[in-house]
Amino acid sequence: MDSENIRSIKELPSEENMQPGTAACAGCGGLLTLRYCLKALGENIVIVNAAGCFTLLTIYPFSPFRNSWLYTAMACAPAGAQGVRDALDILIKKGKLDPEENLKVVVLAGDGSAYDMALSSTSGAIYRNLDFYYICYDNEAYGNTGFQHSGASPFGSRTGTTPPGEKVPVGSQLQKKNLFDIWNSHKPPYLATVSPAYPVDLMNKFKKAEQFKGPKLFISHIPCPPGWGFDPSQSVKLAKLSVETGLWPLKESIHGEVEHTFVPKKFKPVEDYLKKQERFSHLFKPERQEEALKSIQEMVDDYWRKNKLLP
Amino acid sequence: MLRLRFHGRGGQGAKVASRVLGSAAFLDGYNAQDFPLYGAERRGAPITAFTRISRDDILERGLVSQPDVVVVMDETLLSDPQSTPLSGLKKGGVVFVNTPLTPLETKEEYGIEDHVITLDITKISLDMIGKPVLSSLAAAVAAKVAGIGEKALRDALEKELSGIISERELLDRNTEAAIYCYNAVVPISIETTEKFREKENVISIPFETALVSSPSILSKGNTPLRRTGNWRIFRPVWDYDACTKCMTCVARCPEGCIQLNEDGYPYTDYANCKGCLICAEECPVGAISKVRESHSQTEEEDQ
Repeated sequence: MDSENIRSIKELPSEENMQPGTAACAGCGGLLTLRYCLKALGENIVIVNAAGCFTLLTIYPFSPFRNSWLYTAMACAPAGAQGVRDALDILIKKGKLDPEENLKVVVLAGDGSAYDMALSSTSGAIYRNLDFYYICYDNEAYGNTGFQHSGASPFGSRTGTTPPGEKVPVGSQLQKKNLFDIWNSHKPPYLATVSPAYPVDLMNKFKKAEQFKGPKLFISHIPCPPGWGFDPSQSVKLAKLSVETGLWPLKESIHGEVEHTFVPKKFKPVEDYLKKQERFSHLFKPERQEEALKSIQEMVDDYWRKNKLLP
Repeated sequence: MLRLRFHGRGGQGAKVASRVLGSAAFLDGYNAQDFPLYGAERRGAPITAFTRISRDDILERGLVSQPDVVVVMDETLLSDPQSTPLSGLKKGGVVFVNTPLTPLETKEEYGIEDHVITLDITKISLDMIGKPVLSSLAAAVAAKVAGIGEKALRDALEKELSGIISERELLDRNTEAAIYCYNAVVPISIETTEKFREKENVISIPFETALVSSPSILSKGNTPLRRTGNWRIFRPVWDYDACTKCMTCVARCPEGCIQLNEDGYPYTDYANCKGCLICAEECPVGAISKVRESHSQTEEEDQ
């Protein structure tokens, strides 16, 4: 398996399974992740799309995809995937579909769906060992309806529904849900976190996942220019910073065994990442909220300390 | 009653512009209404916002389909079939266009017959605020056209922007740029007709066979037809003398619209490049520069 791994972005497959001209915002980190994922998955897939930003990619009569696409409500993309998978299996079993023409079933969901509304249906699908890919693009809020708070929104962030004010100057007081651990406790055959700033790591993870039958889950942390409040050109820089500061650990889990695929040699201070975004600006102006900043850094350090990877 | 309609792109501030204008009119002693219309949030997608201003009570509700004044905050929207900013404009109405062109050139370029006022508010915004955010500037232009006083505009800017902008200095720069635009615009008297809501035409569509009238589910990957290139404010331009063909820009484009030419050098499909400029930011040798877009001249170069 290792010999097939790619080593640099020059070796990324040249095929594009998504066309330009989508309705996504300029500089969308999720779109970049999706482009890499589709390069890895190839053309023969069915995308089951939960309601979210990426519903807007395919609006009648336009579609950027070379593959089939099915739209479901926010809470039931994994259930939709089960239906598609069953239909394909039955057609193949009855001899009505050549096994050569089998398709991979891919769920595409935002964090609002993955962390909140569809958590139970996803849990069900993993539990039933449904053979599918699940890609969650996590921009840490309900992005396309005004950036409202979701289960993925981090502590201290400003969202549409947690604006910092006099009584609650930090914005969101809740901690981001740990979806990786929730999913991992189901012991799926393959589970990974990815980042659009690390396409080589992303591609190799998809390659590795291919050998497993059952749920193959991916969570990608993605920068959202309008929601996070930064210039679109900084998208990749911010995605990189979230990994380099240790906020978004790149890891994978095979049958429940977790391994980190990238550990920064020297962790950058979390402040470097927070400072660049409008949604954290209240932590610095009009006065620095030392306690909040400290607790965010503490949380990151704790994570790496627990995993014995802090240098 | 004066009916105004703003056309902008997601992120430019059409909604806030109509809000500031509504507040300014109210503070100046008028009755006012303002509201936006948009679907799911998308930076760059066409957005519409409406304002009604009157000395009397405003009993009219709903979208403004026959405006007296149209404010076009993004020139490219004039040729966008999704937006059609000029539709329903009343005879004798006024069109404001954000463009470096003169009113006469704009009339010719886009075939506009009504009164046209132009001002390059994107340039003013970049020079004075540092960002292409046009809400306060477009509101100022509209306020001038509508005959709202400067004091009321200042107060409205303070009231509306202080809820959005936490930085005092940025707010002041916004106000300063807005007042500059307010003074730069020479208003044209608007010959409005009080008659409104004429019988709207019912369009009857002829019967078509299923082959013509039903969705073609097999036409896949057809989004390039949408030509999202008109979302750009800056375009990336490659310097092939500096380029090392490292492929970074090709890999980093979210849309995947950077390709290689016969010599192995990257180039972008300007018809669909949204101008996010991740390519310029990520280029390790600085071979990509950003150039201010001027849409009226570049159609042929894009081909």
